[in-house]
Amino acid sequence: MSTELTDKQRQAIEKIQPMWKIIFDQFLEHRMAVIGLCMIILFLLIAVLAPVISMVSGLDPEKQNPLQRYKPPFSTIVASSSQKEEYIKSFIEKNPEESAKLSQVLIDKQLVTSSRAEDALYDLAQLEINEALQKLDQAKASELAATATAVKKVIQDFKTYHVFGTDELGRDVLIRLIYGTRISMTVGILVAIFSSLIGLLIGAVAGFYGGYIDTILMRVTDALLSLPIFPVLIVVAAIDLNKVPLLNNLVGAQSESMYKLFFILLLFSWMGTARLVRGSVLAIREREFILASKTLGAKDSTIIFKNILPNVISPLLVSVTLGVGGSILFESVLSFLGLGIQPPTPSWGNMLSNGQELIWEAPSLAFLPGLLILITTMSFNYLGDGLQDAIDPKAIRR
Amino acid sequence: MTNFILRRFIQTLVVIVILSYVSYFLMTLMPGDPVELLIQSNPKITPEDVARLKQLYGLDQPTYVRYWNWVSTILQGDLGYSRTYRIPVSELIGEKLVNTFILSMSSLTFSLLIAIPLGVLAALKAGTKWDYIVNFFSFSGISMPVFWLALMLIILFAVKLNWLPASGTFTIGQDLQGFDYALDRIKYLILPALTLSYLTIGSFMRYTRSSMLEAMRNDYIRTAKAKGLDYQTIIWKHGFRNALIPLITVVTLSFSGVFSGALVTETIFSYQGVGKLTYDSIISNDFNVAMISFIISVTSLLVMNFVADMLYGVADPRISYK
Repeated sequence: MSTELTDKQRQAIEKIQPMWKIIFDQFLEHRMAVIGLCMIILFLLIAVLAPVISMVSGLDPEKQNPLQRYKPPFSTIVASSSQKEEYIKSFIEKNPEESAKLSQVLIDKQLVTSSRAEDALYDLAQLEINEALQKLDQAKASELAATATAVKKVIQDFKTYHVFGTDELGRDVLIRLIYGTRISMTVGILVAIFSSLIGLLIGAVAGFYGGYIDTILMRVTDALLSLPIFPVLIVVAAIDLNKVPLLNNLVGAQSESMYKLFFILLLFSWMGTARLVRGSVLAIREREFILASKTLGAKDSTIIFKNILPNVISPLLVSVTLGVGGSILFESVLSFLGLGIQPPTPSWGNMLSNGQELIWEAPSLAFLPGLLILITTMSFNYLGDGLQDAIDPKAIRR
Repeated sequence: MTNFILRRFIQTLVVIVILSYVSYFLMTLMPGDPVELLIQSNPKITPEDVARLKQLYGLDQPTYVRYWNWVSTILQGDLGYSRTYRIPVSELIGEKLVNTFILSMSSLTFSLLIAIPLGVLAALKAGTKWDYIVNFFSFSGISMPVFWLALMLIILFAVKLNWLPASGTFTIGQDLQGFDYALDRIKYLILPALTLSYLTIGSFMRYTRSSMLEAMRNDYIRTAKAKGLDYQTIIWKHGFRNALIPLITVVTLSFSGVFSGALVTETIFSYQGVGKLTYDSIISNDFNVAMISFIISVTSLLVMNFVADMLYGVADPRISYK
């Protein structure tokens, strides 16, 4: 049976498709990988926009509220009258002149019935929130608009809504999870990229030069691979930096725990890539185009970077993607054991670690961070799988 | 062949020695050697006393001398003394080895029983919704934060449903015998074993699926089908046997954890195995115990690497060792 093609169809078939388009189309066929990519983009956006979200929603990851601990999800918290007084007091202390003027205006317009001018703001604060805001709007008409808006913000903060409840210090869980996304994504992506670079370098050198260089580098790789990973991570994380010559000037630095975490994860995550790259380089080295390049008198570096590297980029990309998932898992385990990111900086791992002690009172504290870790890691793993399928010509389904 | 085995054996030994030195060196970098702890607990201690104590414990010597002394006492059969438990390490570690062995073997058996049939199913029905479900399951296993899974199981089965104990190895204070004792142990075993299995099932399933897919593509499968052989025979005798080869490596490597245990899982469930012992000893600076558990994990991993290489040759006669 034969079908006649119209000119348009023939053109579509005969048109040469660029390589990236073939790979991209292939990638789109892997539905889970596409979903994973979307999730990753979403999380990246959240991580980048964390300060903006914090500003817009008025939630602060560090703001504690000891009276309102372990609130369940979807709870609204209204400040007690003594707390309201405290907030107003701290506002007046920060802006004494403006608040005095505003108090005067409030009394002049008879919006509050205070006997003393100093009490005006306090009395206003004790009113119903919406009523207080209305009265402020009326006072705003004057030249004190900026102050009124500031007071308005303070009063609005009396009533806070917590989608995911509050934690053991009364901090909002949602905004802490959002800031945790930043830490986890940063650690995961940076570690994956840098460890792949280390792996690329070592694998390429070992594969290209062979001989005893290869033997030494690969034995080191194998040895590191057979170190029991968790005990070693714990020991390295517990190392007293004062005893290590080069690193001791890091001690006391504000993000010491972060640097240490990077260092530890980097140290133990390049081996897989190194083996992979070495394998590909060994295979490519024997190909004719390398021989041609050598015959034309190319330098070693030219051959490595211009001829071999482009051919190992695709497996490398896959290993970076899979590495991000792995690094996020490792970071969370270390933070969970209390050896990674140190509180008060929120990371998914240490939030989960805090939640662990409270599984009776507030199970959601442990549930949410872990779920996010699972979703992120799965997204990266699916993305890696999809990339692998898309790049591998053997896997192309027709 | 003999030559190859001998060479690999010597290589393995050398790597064990080097790695144990590295671990020893790392341990010395940790805060809190015995003398430092003494100084903290006794503010009146003089610098002379400190120097004398350091000399007494041999802490003033360079690391390699201390390492050499440590190795020679180990080789004489003396594993040293645990600082936390105040009993010899050899006495301490025996029971934990048994506990860990029970846990790892039960979880490995369970995960193989689940993973192999499901992996084969996914390979035979590649591209269908079965394949998708199995794939999703195995991806979630690979990506699962183990401590979170453990916590969720505790919340569900111990806190909410109250079916199983949240943590421990056996009921303390009850002198159970025979069958009752076994039943009691199993109750405590279920949650940690489930946790461990979930993770290994994921990777076993992926390997089974991909190697089975590869095996079923071979020409001899088509021949077998063409001559009208029973489908079950084709799958298991012709397909699965050839898919086994890559699986052997993965499974053998998983056996390396049989004695070294699973640090995170055992710690969360406070299951008294080698993994928890390793964690506790590192955290409480129990140097001798930590080093011995290190050696156990390194050795079992390297030995299993070695065994995997050997089995590879046995399973696939095409591979030759030179």
